[in-house]
Amino acid sequence: MSQPRIPAAEPSWGKRADLDVLNRDIPRIDGPDKVTGRAVYTHDVRIPGMLYAALLRHPVPRALVESIDVSAAEALPGVVHVLQVKEAGDELRYSGDDSVLAVVSAETPEAARDGVRAIVVKAENLEPVVDTERAKEADAPLVNYRRRADSNVAGSRARGDEEKVKGAIDASAKSVEVSVEIPTQHHVCLETHGHVIHPKGEGERSVVYASTQMVSQHGGQLVRPLGLENGQGDKVHVLTPHMGGGFGSKFGAGVEGMLCARIARETGRPVHLMLSRADEFAMGGNRSGSKQTLKLAGDADGKFTAIHVVAERHGGQGGGAFAGAPYQYEVPEVYLDAKSVKTAADSNRAMRAPGHPQASFGMETAVDMLAYETGVDPLTIRKRNLAAKMQRRQLDRVAAEIGWDEHPNKLAPGVPENGIGVGIGFGVCRWTPGGRRARCNVTVRPDGSVVSATATQDLGTGARTYVAAIVAEELGLEVGQVTARIGDSDLPPNVASGGSVTTGSSAPAIKDAAHNAREALEALLEDVLGAEVGDYVWKAGRVHAVGDPERSLAWKEVCALLRQPLEVSGQFQQSLYEGRILGAQAAKVEVDTMTGRVKVLKMVAIQDQGLPLNRMALRSQINGGMIQALSYGLLEQRVFDKEDGFLLSDNLQLYKIAGAQEMPEMVSIIDDSEERDSVCGMAEAPIIPGQSAIANAIYNACGVRMTRMPFTPDNVLTAIHGSV
Amino acid sequence: MQPFELKTPASLEDAIKELPSERSYTAPQPIAGGQDILTVMKDDIEAPASLVEIGHLLSSEISEEPGGLTLGAGATIQDIADHEGVRSGFTALAEAAASVASPQIRSQGTLGGNLNQRPRCPYYRHSAVSCFKRGGNVCLAEFGFNKYAAILGGGPSYFSHPSDLATALMALGASVVIVGPEGERTVPIADYYVGPEEALDRETVLEAYEVVTKITVPRPASGARTTYYKFKERDSYDFALGAAAISLRVEAGTIAEARVVLGGVAPRPWHSPETEAALVGKPMNAETWKSAGEAAVADAVPLDMNGYKVHLVKGILHRALESLA
Repeated sequence: MSQPRIPAAEPSWGKRADLDVLNRDIPRIDGPDKVTGRAVYTHDVRIPGMLYAALLRHPVPRALVESIDVSAAEALPGVVHVLQVKEAGDELRYSGDDSVLAVVSAETPEAARDGVRAIVVKAENLEPVVDTERAKEADAPLVNYRRRADSNVAGSRARGDEEKVKGAIDASAKSVEVSVEIPTQHHVCLETHGHVIHPKGEGERSVVYASTQMVSQHGGQLVRPLGLENGQGDKVHVLTPHMGGGFGSKFGAGVEGMLCARIARETGRPVHLMLSRADEFAMGGNRSGSKQTLKLAGDADGKFTAIHVVAERHGGQGGGAFAGAPYQYEVPEVYLDAKSVKTAADSNRAMRAPGHPQASFGMETAVDMLAYETGVDPLTIRKRNLAAKMQRRQLDRVAAEIGWDEHPNKLAPGVPENGIGVGIGFGVCRWTPGGRRARCNVTVRPDGSVVSATATQDLGTGARTYVAAIVAEELGLEVGQVTARIGDSDLPPNVASGGSVTTGSSAPAIKDAAHNAREALEALLEDVLGAEVGDYVWKAGRVHAVGDPERSLAWKEVCALLRQPLEVSGQFQQSLYEGRILGAQAAKVEVDTMTGRVKVLKMVAIQDQGLPLNRMALRSQINGGMIQALSYGLLEQRVFDKEDGFLLSDNLQLYKIAGAQEMPEMVSIIDDSEERDSVCGMAEAPIIPGQSAIANAIYNACGVRMTRMPFTPDNVLTAIHGSV
Repeated sequence: MQPFELKTPASLEDAIKELPSERSYTAPQPIAGGQDILTVMKDDIEAPASLVEIGHLLSSEISEEPGGLTLGAGATIQDIADHEGVRSGFTALAEAAASVASPQIRSQGTLGGNLNQRPRCPYYRHSAVSCFKRGGNVCLAEFGFNKYAAILGGGPSYFSHPSDLATALMALGASVVIVGPEGERTVPIADYYVGPEEALDRETVLEAYEVVTKITVPRPASGARTTYYKFKERDSYDFALGAAAISLRVEAGTIAEARVVLGGVAPRPWHSPETEAALVGKPMNAETWKSAGEAAVADAVPLDMNGYKVHLVKGILHRALESLA
């Protein structure tokens, strides 16, 4: 066949009114596989001769290892390999991956766990230092292990002229001060972290099944433990066919991946090492906690004048995340002092909008308090201090949807009747989803089949579906006629899924590949239908020349012109992407002041973004953001025993996440007001303000200001009555 | 979980022969629905050398007679929640059954197992912990994380008893029928549970060699209404943060008889005569409910993190009594 011509036109998303596939509800193409159990996750991979590995973790964060005796474990039937990770004399420095003492690999998962139990450990446990208040004390053991560190308080950075800000606050008509406390949250991926690694002999590539957010980049980390050299990442074949959630916790192989690779190399057998749920809580990552004291001042109309924020990030061994101040709103005079308090807990990791929900809770609380203090209602004060016109309009929209107009408590909280109050609260969000270099290949075969392939991963977001849908749109096909191939490091490289970059990077590359495929086919059609490249309409499984529907071919007839498969590639195009999005949310709650029960009755979110590729998936992401924020606000909390350092919340009984009964009526509104001719991701924005809106709704319902998350009955009753 | 042998005796008599004379970490234990014992074993709290299957030997029948109910200990919790006679005549029991865990657990777990379940204190359930309840010499909840701990009847151990059915059955004046090597004995459920001040290795008077076979429940007095109000921290699926089982007879606006048992606040279902005294002879109104709540917690001894339960109990009683008004 002749070479495809140089593309005649730049790819473009086209007018929304002309779209047949995109900007509509598309059921996800892997839905049936997932609900019937056909989808194979890393956890499900079984390979003949595979070993099951289980970890032995020390139960407290800090200890000196005196001895580890693995002989009984090695002698157990079914146990094949015991990897001793720590030795006598080693110091265990923090909870999580530093607590892994040994890994037992066996013919069955049960034998591996029996092996773990048979290991005899003697250790001197040290003061755990899991509490940030304790960590700050002068005589606390140093758990900040950075070189030359002499304090557990780190990374203190002040910004702004404190005296000037204090002066501005004093000179303002109104001001409020509040201290908030936010616990550590976990990602709680349904699928825990882990790998199945199949080592291969000389000349063959090792196969790594990984639950990872970076299938393209994952292999490079495993070369060393697999006995390869740096730069030999291409000798590792990474597969992530399906994935049970990541939320930012699955960048890289982790200690568990390194250990899995090492055991695979040492035994020469495939190894299945997935974290148990308890392991997952201990070492699978978390969203850092925070303490903040905010002073916010405004004029008599509620226009903000100055803000003073002192914030702590509680990221365990990590630095913690905090999105700064003032968060989202316009404040002329700003002082911010943010520091990190280190403890011997495992490091925080990226989690869906890292640092933003924490900053939102502090700021939205202060904004809300200043509204009531000033006598300006909480909706108006927000609109008065937001720069973007779009966001002010979004606030009006969620207010209308939640019933703010007819709600009685606008300038003062309600007075509960028979203990019950109903209130409404607001919050806003903003995000800048990225777009980076990514590639995609589209293959059209003479039999009419189409494959769209790129090494992205579907964390559960629905990414797989648009890999097919974008191509279907371009070629006038139905989604089911295009096969999406993802989750394979052999495919054209794509980005790691963080910062909502997946869609902004992938979609332009897929679009570009589809565009190139279409033009290559149109070049073939010149002799058949007589029009030039760019002068065809592809619709409903047929192609015809512009303005001449009679000159037309069916899709299969077009493909029959091919003598061999047509394979074209595409890459990220800046012109197809733009990343800036705004949103607003409202929550309506019912509070029982007698029992401390908070029931969220309704949540409304509006979210703008680029072209909605799949409106159903988009609403799912907005719903998911509201749900995760509701769960964060109402229930979630990591619990360590402060004295001994046991992680008590290492199970789903004590680490509570919201279930069906907690779900409110949810309204997800896709903001179509700006028809941007571009695409971007959006999933981080809608998780940001939900818990803030709920806290503000609680105050609006009954006058109880929740400064401590989560809003569980104990915290609500303590806020009402004080400590007993 | 340690490997164990599963025994499947042909009769209850044979099953009892397989049971040990005393409790220990490795002593054999009975299993029916397995919803508690298997979690205890998975968390390495106990490691019985054998489990003695009794599920197929217990009656699962729920029979209603004029005098009351007889429930086989093998009845599933869902059977109880769904039973028409239980729902209409023994509302508190039906409500308690419906409030337990999840549909899966209710359909698998049995009445006998629910009454005999072990504490849910996070320390007790933590593999690495040694505490009073596990043969150790300390209650870590007393000075540690005690948000879920007991405010009544605590000490030396401060867990709160997890059974919803026990709380409801105690308010209904049920009795527990027990079979052992010597034959059958019947214990009023009010005497069935023992607090930590009496024994730390158990929560009931049931001996290691005995099996609960039946529960009998007298029909509530004519005109009495009963309810089980369970308050969960997470509505979807949780143990009781606090609960109240109430049987009440109101005559012409005045409370003539009352029986009140609190759940989730003490190491055993907590019969509260103080609350009953504050109700009987009083008008059925919010003021009475308030004083009943105050009476209920008059002797409460909160720990560092569970003082809220003092207020919660008052709120629960208000809501439970309100539902009977």
